[in-house]
Amino acid sequence: MFILLETTQNQELVTLIPWTFIAQILNLFLQMFLIKKFLFKPIREVLEKRKAKADAEIGEATKAKEEALAMKEEYEQNMSEARDKANEILANAQKTATVKSEEILKEASENAVSIKAKAERDIEQEKRKAVNEIKDEIAGMAMEIAGKVIEREISEKDHAKLIDEFIENVGVQ
Amino acid sequence: MNIDIKGPKILYEIPFDIPVLGRIQISETLVVSWIVILLITLLCIWLTHDLKVENITKRQAFAEMLVETADKFVIGNMGPKFKYMVPFVAALFSTSLVSNLISLTGLRSPTADLSTEAAWAIVVFTMITAQKIKSSGFGGYLKGFTQPIPVLTPFNVLSELATPISLACRHFGNILSGIVINGLLYAALAVASSKLLGLIPGAVGAVLSHVPILDVGIPAVLSVYFDWFTGVMQAYIFCMLTTMYIANAAEG
Repeated sequence: MFILLETTQNQELVTLIPWTFIAQILNLFLQMFLIKKFLFKPIREVLEKRKAKADAEIGEATKAKEEALAMKEEYEQNMSEARDKANEILANAQKTATVKSEEILKEASENAVSIKAKAERDIEQEKRKAVNEIKDEIAGMAMEIAGKVIEREISEKDHAKLIDEFIENVGVQ
Repeated sequence: MNIDIKGPKILYEIPFDIPVLGRIQISETLVVSWIVILLITLLCIWLTHDLKVENITKRQAFAEMLVETADKFVIGNMGPKFKYMVPFVAALFSTSLVSNLISLTGLRSPTADLSTEAAWAIVVFTMITAQKIKSSGFGGYLKGFTQPIPVLTPFNVLSELATPISLACRHFGNILSGIVINGLLYAALAVASSKLLGLIPGAVGAVLSHVPILDVGIPAVLSVYFDWFTGVMQAYIFCMLTTMYIANAAEG
């Protein structure tokens, strides 16, 4: 057992006390240990954690950006494909429409031509028919007139000759 | 008027004579040193409780600032390879600072005892020597004393020994001088106020002349220099020199 004696002495103002000297060396290292344990270690840990967290967040952000860029690229590719397809469809439709319209026009013009030909034919026929009818009527009229004028029967031969002359004269007039 | 400026009180003694080292004495210096250690440690514990990674408190920001300042100071003076010295320098600085400033509470500074500074200086000197031996080998270290010419060897040894002595005495001298000047000033102002108030005639003057009225306030102005300024400066200078000496020793 140590015995502690209370004293009322003072040490010299400027002196080296060996035990105080040794104790102060130990105190300094004790203080170093305590500061390390209670200040530096916890603070460094928290700083390290914060750094790790910041790094992780930056990494995540970079990844997200890459993903977004990839998505954008894909989207753009899809868009351009869609545009190409739309253009192709449009071009095809135009082509088809052109072909069809040409066909329709051709058919229409053919139809028109045939209708026109038929109409011309009909007109010709009608004209001929009308001419023949007029011919017959005029012939009858001429016969009647002639019969009345000369009051005699003319031969069938003269008859025909007279009609032709008459018609020719009428046609000239 | 007698002015008696005494050394630290010896509070307890273990009455066994140990050869060379003498009796184990527990002086004011040691008791206040333990109080200082306790204060610093409690401050550290208070600063670092409840630490968070995000949304930190001002207290935590201050603690982080302390650590970063210590890192910057040591790495700035010594280079990154001495990062392991940060807690030591921080301990040296905080102990010195709190020891110097604790005199404001009326306790006796541990730094007003040469044993304290001598202990620190010896630790620093050991580190300097260790760095020198590490950087140039034991032979190189011894050979360094004979540079640039062998005649200078005694002076080199002297200058080597002067390093820890000057380191210790600079710090001790500044703190002690503060105590001495404060003691002188208190005594002088007490005398002055007693003479001044003694001019008042009759019993009033006789009573008032025992009140050292000038001791109120005026010493506080000097205390700003001797306690605050010197206290902070010496702690800083001690750490500055420590880092410089060790870094120079490592460069060889």
